[in-house]
Amino acid sequence: MTMEILAPEVTAAGMTDEICDIVLTRRLRWWLPCFVVALGGLGLLGAAVGWLFYAGIGIWGIDWPVVWGLAIINYVWWIGIASGGTFISAFFFLMRVEWRTALNRIAESMTLFAAACAGIFPILHLGRPWFFYWLFPYPNSMGLWPQFRSPLLWDFFAILAYVVSSVLFWYLGLLPDLASLRDRAAGRTGQIVYGSLALGFRGTARQWKHHRAAYGVMAAIMAPLVVSVHSIVGLDFAGAQTPGWHSTQFPPFFVFGAVLSGFASVLFLAIPLRRLLRLEAYITERHLDVLGKLLLTSSLCVAYAYAMDAFSVFYGAEPAEVTMFMERAFGLYAPVYWTTILFNILAPQLLWSRRARLSQPLVMAISLAVIVGMWLERYEIVVTSLHRTNLPSAWGVYHATFWDWATLAGTVALFFAGFLLFVRLLPVLSMFEMRELIAKRRGRP
Amino acid sequence: MSARTPTWRSLAEHEGDPAFIARVAAEFPGLARVLAEGPDRRQVLKLMGASLALGLGGCDPGDPKGRIIPGIKAPPGIVPGIENEYATASVLDGYATGIRVRHQAGRPMQVVGNPAHPASLGAVDPIAQARILSLYDPDRSHGVSHGNQQAGWASFREAFERRRTAIDQRKGDGLRILTGTVTSPTLVAQLAALQGRYPLMRWHQCQAVSRDAVRLGARLAYGRPVEAVYRLDRADVILAIDSDLLSTAPGHLRHARDVAGRRNPVAGPMSRVYAVESTPDLIGVMADHRFVAGPREIHQALTALAAAILRQGSPQPGAPAWLAAVAQDLAAHPGRALIHIGPQQPAEYHALVHALNEALGGRGRTFDLIEPVEAAPIDQATSLGDLIADMADGRIQDLLILGENPVFTAPPAFAEALKQVPFSVSLGVELDETAQATTWHLPEAHPLEAWSDARAYDGTVTILQPQVQPLFGAHSAHEVLALLAGDRAPDGYAIVRATWAKLSDDAWHGALSSGVVSGTAGRPVDPPLRSGATVLPAPPDRQITLLLRPDPYLWDGRFANSAWLQELPRPLTKLVWDNPLLVASALARRLGVGNGDLVKLSAGGATLTVPVWIQPGQAEDCVTAHRGWGRRQVGAVGKNAGFDFLALGDGPLSVEKAGGTYALATTEHHNPLDAAPDGVVRHGTLAGFTADRQFLQTPDPQASLYPPQPAGTMAWGMSIDLNACIGCNACVIACQAENNVPVVGKDEVLREREMHWLRIDRYFEGSVEAPRVLLQPMLCMHCEEAPCEVVCPVGATVHDAEGLNVMVYNRCVGTRFCSNNCPYKVRRFNYFAFARDEVRSIQARNQEVSVRARGVMEKCSFCIQRIAAARIDADKEDRAIRDGEVVTACQAACPTQAISFGNIRDQASAVARRKASPLAYALLGELNTKPRVTYEGRVRNANPAIVEPSA
Amino acid sequence: MAGVFEPSANLIAKAALLVFLEVLLAGLGWWFFAPRTDYASAVGWVLDQPVPFSHEHHVSGLGLDCRFCHTSVELSATAGMPATETCMTCHSQIWTSAKLLEPVRASFARHQPIVWNRVNALPDYVYFNHSIHIAKGVGCQSCHGNVGKMALTEKAQTFEMQFCVNCHRDPGPNLRPKEALFDTDWHRTAATPPPDALMAQYHIGGRGLTDCSICHR
Repeated sequence: MTMEILAPEVTAAGMTDEICDIVLTRRLRWWLPCFVVALGGLGLLGAAVGWLFYAGIGIWGIDWPVVWGLAIINYVWWIGIASGGTFISAFFFLMRVEWRTALNRIAESMTLFAAACAGIFPILHLGRPWFFYWLFPYPNSMGLWPQFRSPLLWDFFAILAYVVSSVLFWYLGLLPDLASLRDRAAGRTGQIVYGSLALGFRGTARQWKHHRAAYGVMAAIMAPLVVSVHSIVGLDFAGAQTPGWHSTQFPPFFVFGAVLSGFASVLFLAIPLRRLLRLEAYITERHLDVLGKLLLTSSLCVAYAYAMDAFSVFYGAEPAEVTMFMERAFGLYAPVYWTTILFNILAPQLLWSRRARLSQPLVMAISLAVIVGMWLERYEIVVTSLHRTNLPSAWGVYHATFWDWATLAGTVALFFAGFLLFVRLLPVLSMFEMRELIAKRRGRP
Repeated sequence: MSARTPTWRSLAEHEGDPAFIARVAAEFPGLARVLAEGPDRRQVLKLMGASLALGLGGCDPGDPKGRIIPGIKAPPGIVPGIENEYATASVLDGYATGIRVRHQAGRPMQVVGNPAHPASLGAVDPIAQARILSLYDPDRSHGVSHGNQQAGWASFREAFERRRTAIDQRKGDGLRILTGTVTSPTLVAQLAALQGRYPLMRWHQCQAVSRDAVRLGARLAYGRPVEAVYRLDRADVILAIDSDLLSTAPGHLRHARDVAGRRNPVAGPMSRVYAVESTPDLIGVMADHRFVAGPREIHQALTALAAAILRQGSPQPGAPAWLAAVAQDLAAHPGRALIHIGPQQPAEYHALVHALNEALGGRGRTFDLIEPVEAAPIDQATSLGDLIADMADGRIQDLLILGENPVFTAPPAFAEALKQVPFSVSLGVELDETAQATTWHLPEAHPLEAWSDARAYDGTVTILQPQVQPLFGAHSAHEVLALLAGDRAPDGYAIVRATWAKLSDDAWHGALSSGVVSGTAGRPVDPPLRSGATVLPAPPDRQITLLLRPDPYLWDGRFANSAWLQELPRPLTKLVWDNPLLVASALARRLGVGNGDLVKLSAGGATLTVPVWIQPGQAEDCVTAHRGWGRRQVGAVGKNAGFDFLALGDGPLSVEKAGGTYALATTEHHNPLDAAPDGVVRHGTLAGFTADRQFLQTPDPQASLYPPQPAGTMAWGMSIDLNACIGCNACVIACQAENNVPVVGKDEVLREREMHWLRIDRYFEGSVEAPRVLLQPMLCMHCEEAPCEVVCPVGATVHDAEGLNVMVYNRCVGTRFCSNNCPYKVRRFNYFAFARDEVRSIQARNQEVSVRARGVMEKCSFCIQRIAAARIDADKEDRAIRDGEVVTACQAACPTQAISFGNIRDQASAVARRKASPLAYALLGELNTKPRVTYEGRVRNANPAIVEPSA
Repeated sequence: MAGVFEPSANLIAKAALLVFLEVLLAGLGWWFFAPRTDYASAVGWVLDQPVPFSHEHHVSGLGLDCRFCHTSVELSATAGMPATETCMTCHSQIWTSAKLLEPVRASFARHQPIVWNRVNALPDYVYFNHSIHIAKGVGCQSCHGNVGKMALTEKAQTFEMQFCVNCHRDPGPNLRPKEALFDTDWHRTAATPPPDALMAQYHIGGRGLTDCSICHR
């Protein structure tokens, strides 16, 4: 059978009812326990950050020479995960890819909360976080400006722009659906809350016209942003002459990596959500199949990047580079390197098989492997590069401390807390776009 | 500073006087609490920490709380913001090394070398520099104690008076005085006077780090005590046998300068240095050939050497292979060859070495003989033995221990016997083991607080002048002896001045300001060498010999409470805060242990469990243990640091694996032998150099895409001569003192967070059994194309017009990207508020350098505060800064002048000339960072006749 | 459907957005401007002092030179505060029983220093040197204002970094002839050499005066 992106029985009205029901009436037994756990994690995050600000970043495992550690790793990891949503919601929107419609909202919300998690790390990471605003060019009583040659500065701008426009894009997309919720809400509070959030969207032709235009423009802004943000994150490393970082391929390399982890995360969230919220009719096996293929594709891109990474080391034959790479592949941190290969390159190869793509547990497992693998990749890039630099006298090791892990766990909790609230309070499908899609499909003979 | 210290200012008068405490609080915030509440050091440390925030009170208006406290009368010669410097000496085991003390706002702040002093020539060793810390050490002894209860000077003087009447009647019978080695003319005069007054009194000497073998050796060789003074600048060939010539021997700074002067082939003909060592020492690092030899091989080598040189015979079988070549080399340089042997070797060996040096015609050329510098060169072991015996027999009623800590350093028998002495007095700067064991303890004036005098290795006398009035009403040995002599109000100044009554006031003041009393160098003597070959006793046949050596920095333990010295990486192990047992890798393999694994030592019935550390180049049949650690009664810093190997008895030593490990902190985190230093520390042989003077050069890196740095008239640069560096660490401490570099403690070093701006990288080359050591001082290179600058988002590290790579602490937000991008990894980060939490008195900090806060990056600044001072002086006089006007702290302290610094645009400057050397190279030049610091490659003057296994 | 919102809701929403925007701007404005007020930088505010010392009286009235009390201003980084001794050189003869001067006499008698409240302060990480500024023709007035008009001493400049930097970027206008350095009420006249001439006369310009390393170590 050919897989459809819509179950045959789906109708526009039925879809809207069902999705609104999830928010307005449906009981979700599994929701509260999950949320409580997430809140617990948030508490841990609070403790970790509080202690960090009180005691100083010495509570982390960073040392000399490995002055960057989990904070940077987590930052790059989260921002990479965020990319997946933007790709689906913006890129594929611009390309008029129909299957993206059902996944759009989930993916975008994921982007939002992942970006939020990413956003806090650059500040936590500072030795003197209370001066983070010095990175921003504003007229000050010191008569000074930031240093525009530094990749970190542009990283600061990029992440700021990315988070802000992600929020706007997401909210813009929500407006019509908020309006639908307002109209269907039973209680007055619901009506008022959703009503106020809908900003008076009544679905007049004029409003639709403006909305379409704005949505399109935002999409057109988001698409290049997602590329730029990861390129600049790549530059944070490529801009340095540190062995293992000093490579022109980093910007695309980081985009590949980001996309890989992004799609993996979308899969990892969509599959269970589909079950729990009974969305099989809208998120069909076709969607999973397509995402599986995307995952495989991006994994191949990453494989290419890894290969180039190794190749350029030996092609350049810089002693320091070679030393570092041999250490990375066969030294103290070798397990990290090979696990990275296993999780990011080898595991996704299973997806060549259609049966594998359709086995949801397997796809879940692969996605998880990729998510973990991408974290390990960043660990390998940050730590192994720094622990073997040009001078043997400056070689050292790095071990994360409890507080490093607590901060990571805390941000995971932050992500899920946010995502759970989204599932509970907002439509998980972009209803107005679905309606268009359905109309379009049903329109055909 | 020749003003007289007021006499007999007793703290007892002030005890509990709030006004007085308030005054002290204003002056020494950290110490106020001590006076108010007695020795509760935790509170003191809190106060010390707090006092950092307070800034200096007094006439310096730097009080963030917004107060200005001018003086009542402007003190003469002290202008706020202008430094003073006063000469004095640092005395270790009797031998003086000239120093000068920098004062800021009228307070001693840093110890620097004294160019006018023969043993210093401007250089200063870590121990001397660390004295500034001990001066302000809150753990110092701060009051008279009786039976470990606080008491006042008044009560002591009463008790003492009563004893004196008894002593008088006994004509001094039962009165003993125990000192270390004494060179102070004043102290000797006082002791002589006492001897006259109390004929039956006896004076014992005992220095923990014994030089008996040196004394006895000279006596055996010449039939009378003499002191050998070495002229290493005149020696073309030096054979150093287990020698401390460059590390701890009296005059070692001078020795280092003289040897180093002959080690750079560009400067002139190189000397050749052979080292024969059981355990690596600094001379072995500098040596062209280093031979690993245990006690037995050393014995064989000497016997063979005697045969070869004294009897022109060929070295008999059993002699090491290299010996013939060495003997030949020595013999080939009559009058220009020298042999030196370490104080740990038996007296007979020393006697033989004297004979050999005479045979090599060195007298008057490579060494001179002078009257002993010591006042009474006796065999101290015997002297101590007698004292212990007499104490045990209860023949001693009164014992005066001046400045030594025998309860810790002498055999346990001493402490036992001491219990038999009814009236025992210890005079000491700190509350040490002896202070606890004696009936009375008196706080001794710190060397920087008291009037005294002492002689250098060559006999030159220095008058020690107080840099500050005694902080705790402490008193010097002179004053206490005067008290014993019946002087009711002893005055250190008067006592010392009396010794030098023959000096006119002008001469006296001249001596004080220059730091040397002219014409006091030892007279050369001309004793004939006793004929008759001495028989060399073979060393006891032991499977493993324990070499008990003084720690290079804690010495016999007297500096155990100095945070700087504790955290100063040991030259060859780079270990801090601990003294594991140093073993050869072969032995470690036999025992099945690695670094940090615990072993059980047993000797003479006593056992000790300690960690081991594999020391490349260690003789397989020797293990080395450093003394001075594991102090039982010591301040907070020295507590639980290291192990006291003196607990082991004599007799054969057995070592076995104990199981378990112990965390050892080292500042070199890589396996020493897996690093190939070829490109990093460029080195080669003299043969290679003579063949092609450019042999260490590599093709220039490609052109840079960046615009060249602005070519002003000033461009600061530095050149470091790797041929001269001996790894003594003087520069490291100098940098720490000058730049307020914090101490982080063992745990943070274990976390790889040490803060030294200047580190000395150590690489090994060759086999682990007999490696060659390569050293490289590493500091900010002040790259012209500094990678750190481009990556800082806030521009906290930037270039200035004179090519300095400036670190602006108050702009730093702590992204630490600069450190990632620094190929030399010379940047240090304040992960915690290290400066706030360390034990360093506010007075011991350099006011001219910011104290860095938590969360900021820091690094070497080329001592920018000194550059700024010179800049301002020059601008005020509308002239350019002269060459040599700016001397960095490391450069000033360096005994071998390995470091030169100045304006590289000025072709006449010393540094420009050094950089023009064919040996000069830029580290990691291929990265095109254009470092302003360059190195002069290391050249070995190898003897072609010797093929080294490791070569 | 039952309208939850009256048509006025649109207006309210717009107003709410506007208010939100304004609050945001106001907050930013406060954050930006508050530190720049004289109140925040304490310019022109008089502090209580143990002795109500009047520069106006001593400088304008009696014509004392700055260096009479601030002795090290030409030698050292710090201008130096007068020791009690200095006050007593005159006040042991005149106003010997003045109530106001009691603290000074007490200080001298009891050997307790007078504790003044600091008027002009720089952060610890700024290394300002008085002597070089005097040597290079920057008068006291440029930073300390016309103390000759201050009955009670007050802060005349913010001493924010930009205050220093602005002058370091272009010192000329703030230079004055040697004889005018200690004149507390000096103004450029037609006779005064132009800034460039003074720059040349004082040999200023050889240094990168805006290098961080000039003030920070």
